[in-house]
Amino acid sequence: MTDLISRPDAPQPTMAPETLAERLLDTQAPQRPLSTPRIRIEVDGRVVEGFEGQTILEVCRDNGIEIPTLCYEPKLPGFGACRMCVVEVEGEEHPPISCSRTCEPDMKVQTQTEELRRLRRTNLELIFSDHNAYCLPPCQNKCPSHIDIPGFLRANAEADWRESSRIFKRTIPFPSILGRVCPAPCEEHCRRDEVDEAIAIRDSHRYAGDQVLKSMLDDGVDPPLPFERQAPSGRRAAVIGSGPAGMAAAYYLLLTGHDVTVFERDAAPGGMLRYGIPQYRLPKVEVLEAEYESVTRLGGRIVCNAALGRDFTLDDLTNQGFDAVVVAIGCYDTNRLGIPGEDAAECIDGLEYLRTATLGLPYPDHVGKRVVVIGGGFTSMDCSRTSVRQGAQEVTLVYRRDMKDMPAANEVHEAIEEGVTAIFQAGPVRVITDKDGNVTGVEFIRMVMGARDASGRRRPEPAPGTEFTIPCDRVLLAIGQGPELDWLEQPGNEGPEMSKQWRLKADAVTFETGRPGVFGSGDVRIGAATVVQAIAEGRRAAYAVDAYLKGFDLTAIRTRQTLAEPQPEFLSIVPFTSEIKESRYRMRALEAEERNHSYIEYELPYTPEEAVAESTRCLQCTCEAIGFCDLRRLGIEYGTTLQTLEPQHHQGAGYRSVTENRFTGINHDYIRDDSHAFILREPSRCIDCGRCAQVCAEVVGAACYDFMRIGFDTLVTTPLDMSLNDTPCVSCGRCAETCPTGALMPKPRVLQKYEVDESRCILCGICVDACPYDALRDGSDIELADTSRESPMIDLMAIAAVDRETEVTYIRRERDWAARAAAEGRFVDTARLLPVLPATVAGLPGNGHGNGNGHGHAHGNDHHGGTAVAPAPRE
Amino acid sequence: MAELLATPPAWPTILLERAGAADPTDLDVAVRAGTFDGLRRSIRELGPTGTIATIAAAGLRGRGGAGFPTADKWRVAARTDAPRRYVVANGYGADPAAGTDRYLMEHDPFTVVEGTAIAAFAVGATEAIIAVRAEAAETIRRLEAAIGAAEEAGFLGFDVLGSGHDLTMTVRTVQGAYMLGEETVLLKALEGKRGQPEQRPPHPAERGLNDMPTVVNNVQTLAAVPWIIRRGAEAFAAVGAGHARGTILVQVRTPAGDGIAEVPLGTPLREIVALGGSLPRGRSVKALLIGGPSGGLLPPDLLDTPYDFEPLRAAGAHIGSGSLVVADDRACVVDLARLLTRFCASEACGKTIPCRIGTRRLVEIADRVIDGRPRPTDTTLITDLSADIVASALCDHERLTTFPLASAMRYFRSELDDHLLRSSCPAGVCHPIAVATGAATYGRP
Repeated sequence: MTDLISRPDAPQPTMAPETLAERLLDTQAPQRPLSTPRIRIEVDGRVVEGFEGQTILEVCRDNGIEIPTLCYEPKLPGFGACRMCVVEVEGEEHPPISCSRTCEPDMKVQTQTEELRRLRRTNLELIFSDHNAYCLPPCQNKCPSHIDIPGFLRANAEADWRESSRIFKRTIPFPSILGRVCPAPCEEHCRRDEVDEAIAIRDSHRYAGDQVLKSMLDDGVDPPLPFERQAPSGRRAAVIGSGPAGMAAAYYLLLTGHDVTVFERDAAPGGMLRYGIPQYRLPKVEVLEAEYESVTRLGGRIVCNAALGRDFTLDDLTNQGFDAVVVAIGCYDTNRLGIPGEDAAECIDGLEYLRTATLGLPYPDHVGKRVVVIGGGFTSMDCSRTSVRQGAQEVTLVYRRDMKDMPAANEVHEAIEEGVTAIFQAGPVRVITDKDGNVTGVEFIRMVMGARDASGRRRPEPAPGTEFTIPCDRVLLAIGQGPELDWLEQPGNEGPEMSKQWRLKADAVTFETGRPGVFGSGDVRIGAATVVQAIAEGRRAAYAVDAYLKGFDLTAIRTRQTLAEPQPEFLSIVPFTSEIKESRYRMRALEAEERNHSYIEYELPYTPEEAVAESTRCLQCTCEAIGFCDLRRLGIEYGTTLQTLEPQHHQGAGYRSVTENRFTGINHDYIRDDSHAFILREPSRCIDCGRCAQVCAEVVGAACYDFMRIGFDTLVTTPLDMSLNDTPCVSCGRCAETCPTGALMPKPRVLQKYEVDESRCILCGICVDACPYDALRDGSDIELADTSRESPMIDLMAIAAVDRETEVTYIRRERDWAARAAAEGRFVDTARLLPVLPATVAGLPGNGHGNGNGHGHAHGNDHHGGTAVAPAPRE
Repeated sequence: MAELLATPPAWPTILLERAGAADPTDLDVAVRAGTFDGLRRSIRELGPTGTIATIAAAGLRGRGGAGFPTADKWRVAARTDAPRRYVVANGYGADPAAGTDRYLMEHDPFTVVEGTAIAAFAVGATEAIIAVRAEAAETIRRLEAAIGAAEEAGFLGFDVLGSGHDLTMTVRTVQGAYMLGEETVLLKALEGKRGQPEQRPPHPAERGLNDMPTVVNNVQTLAAVPWIIRRGAEAFAAVGAGHARGTILVQVRTPAGDGIAEVPLGTPLREIVALGGSLPRGRSVKALLIGGPSGGLLPPDLLDTPYDFEPLRAAGAHIGSGSLVVADDRACVVDLARLLTRFCASEACGKTIPCRIGTRRLVEIADRVIDGRPRPTDTTLITDLSADIVASALCDHERLTTFPLASAMRYFRSELDDHLLRSSCPAGVCHPIAVATGAATYGRP
């Protein structure tokens, strides 16, 4: 027993040392080994090597084995608050946490067992049950393509149309087309609606897209690219179909460096955009062709008059050297009603009608006809409104459900204004024909709304005895379309199959069909849908094809796609009430009498001021940490995020359903603290991991944060929840850097841009000293501060060339302002006005020189320089 | 102050041997009774290794609740290479309902001081701290008086008993939450930081107070040490039944009366319950709460369970603070479990997610059950959540918080089902909606 215990100060049996050398050897302090010994442990059945003294987490991370963490800060010892990094070690009762467990040789570790995943999932559910925050703004979430809506609206608010368009093109390449034809599901969920009215999101990107198109057509400027184009891969992809899905796929495939050829059945590209959507909604030349030019300018080739099955087969494409094929042929096969008399000559396929009409040709014998349009989608709307324009005597639209159930409910008012008669809740029974086979009318029956079906809409059921007849000469059928899939049967097209729903069978994530290298995307896969859905399909398919062409495992991209296309979920939303009410800027439209015989676009675009003002209304209600948030990433990975956008009913005082998981209960609602100039604190997003407290105390030394209060109410915050300004904060931003969620963030809007008034700068250099990020620097000759993050280096010559504002121009500007204010009837406090110089010095009031600084200089001799004292009357 | 309960004469007294002295802080009286003989023997005869070996042979285990072998702790601390070592006597006594530690320190401060000194000598610590609740003024006064007297007499301070070993002993008051009973939390508090547990390993015996090896022992553990050294390991090992050796102080509370008793470990619960006197006529034992607020609720048919570390843990309770509460049939077990869980959840330090949010959700489930609006999944949820909290917990507080509800589920399922399925409380304590609406409409037309 005794020999087991050794203690430095325990009496040791001493022996007389023989030699001095031996005594020195004995008494010498133990030497640290020159290198840390290596040890081997087994992780998930794999033997990996690490150094002695490393934690399990460190060894795993060094060997590329991912263990989820939330509270782990690599610079500091493990803290152990989040319990996410639990691992199983053989022979231990409770799973230890890997961030603070030191490795022992031959340890057997499991990182991904069912049990561990369950523990982590429980943990995440608990976090989400008290996480009173949300990720994506509702608009972005509801957009099938997840466009960064707050992002482009912010760029719009700065009148930076190019940047706005660039942000938009990250997810959708065609802002102008979508700006005209999108049903805008985003606007229904806009949170601005809780203040006054939803933002005109669609009209805003339409404006930005139009500006880019204009500069492309007028000045030859290439449209902006959303990402840097990747180096050519040397692989070739064929896209069949030049509709929205196909062209979106082509666009993103071109950006990823592949060579793309688009095959189009018809004489001109566009698909449904060209042949299904009338001119008055989408001008073909100015918008469609101009926007498609962004694909051809990237090198995409479009081959027209080449149809799959008619002119070539899939085998032909393979033989021509295409490595991948995207089938995006859309839906062109109109459904039949299945009622007697349907085969009459005057029962026309709505798409067939539109095809002729959109080409600008009058459909034969349409003038003076009484037309009945059956259906409630966009096609039926286009059919009826085009019929009005083509001179039909009367147009009746019949839909079997109620108006609010119509897919095209937004547009029906415009149709009615133009003279269409709309009848709801009636279904066709038979088409009445005379003995020559001419249509004389359609018999309908009234529908009552029955039980709800899978789509949540009530299923219409005929009410017996309510039959009525609408006399007419022509019937347009627009009751939905399916894809044309005859080519599947042809030799040379073996592989792809048809699904039970009469669609092309393709995977929802990888878009693979039954034939390797052939992908199905767009309407042909999901059935007739909206343009924005088709474009989302095309883009996602492009990512899958890109992965295929680069030789990645397509099963692996499932996870990536899920991360890239998350369906994050939401909390019940706190209404914004402090905002000033400012109603929506609406686009003006031509009067109905004027537009119902014209094919010109009837919506009048915004003025630049209106576009900026409308975008400025955006509340920017996104979480700033999106893309950086570990909690969100783990929530998606473990499937523990929320499932609903709709506010939940309250279960009683103090209860609000933050999440829809097992543990929903009382949750905290903390107040946002934006008193600090650089760091934004949103405690409702805090998960109490303590990283900021640790980093601030151990690395920075300021110790601004710590855990406060006890029990459920514990929160990592400043002492007494004081403002960060009152703590020893040095604004270093490390807390925001380490925060795994969006609870601490660098204040984005404040950091975006600074203006330095150089006429007032005394070159003290304090800003240079204080800046924690070296955003401002000393120049070589003299201390200078820079104004913008865009151009960090200062051009001294350029500064010298700029005319400085002097006292004179300053006063002149003040006077202009006062004059303008008076003219607009705004209140001007005379006490606040500067003493005004004599008119001889100040120049004429309101002469437009305003802030003449720089402007006058650029125009050379036309105007006097900004520094000139003598007045120079204009013109 | 709680009174001492009469125990059967056959039960040995080890911890409270000297309790009942007229002035517990009188050193002369204490020394005549044999106090500090143990320290002397430890220094003069056994030496550090011999002392640890004796404690190991006696089979002394920690009285703080976990029952960790004391000698192992000391050995690790003694073995760890460090410039300084500490001994911390944990006299915080977190359980507000248990006065055992305080009783011991007030009635025999010298034994606590001596035990601490022996521990410090054995592990080579030069600083010893007795941590006491700040509001226990009398305890602090007596301990400080005892330390002062012992220092003057040379039992503490510079060159203790001529051994060349220095020992500074101080009484440190800590004030805060229930959590301070946990050893790593107590050390944090002694460092002046927020009381939050640390992940173990490393155990405090390797890296504790100020990152130095620290032995944290309950005052009862330390008070047993002098007796072992004086009488020998065999004498101590002879006391108690089953695996555990020695005696422990138990705070017994029954509807008939309450008090403190020194009980040999391994005594059947029935005998301890009997110390509190017989229940009022017509009342029967319904549940035993063993282990303080985070203890387990045991049914009367487990009265033959020995009061020992492992058997209690297997039954779903634990020694904990040494409190044993007897609830008669007027109590509602579900309500009791809710109360206990709520106390533990609101006393949590809030460091880890399962503890901060998870235990709170347990309380909410219990609230739902009691208010008569349970969800159909609530019983599974209690089981699942408790299991996950126990599996991924950082400290024992977190694990033990699940005990009241888990043991209520295990032994009193029928009573829980009455609440869950029938919205009724057999004991008439809770007012679920069914009862409340009945009461509200009572007597109305």
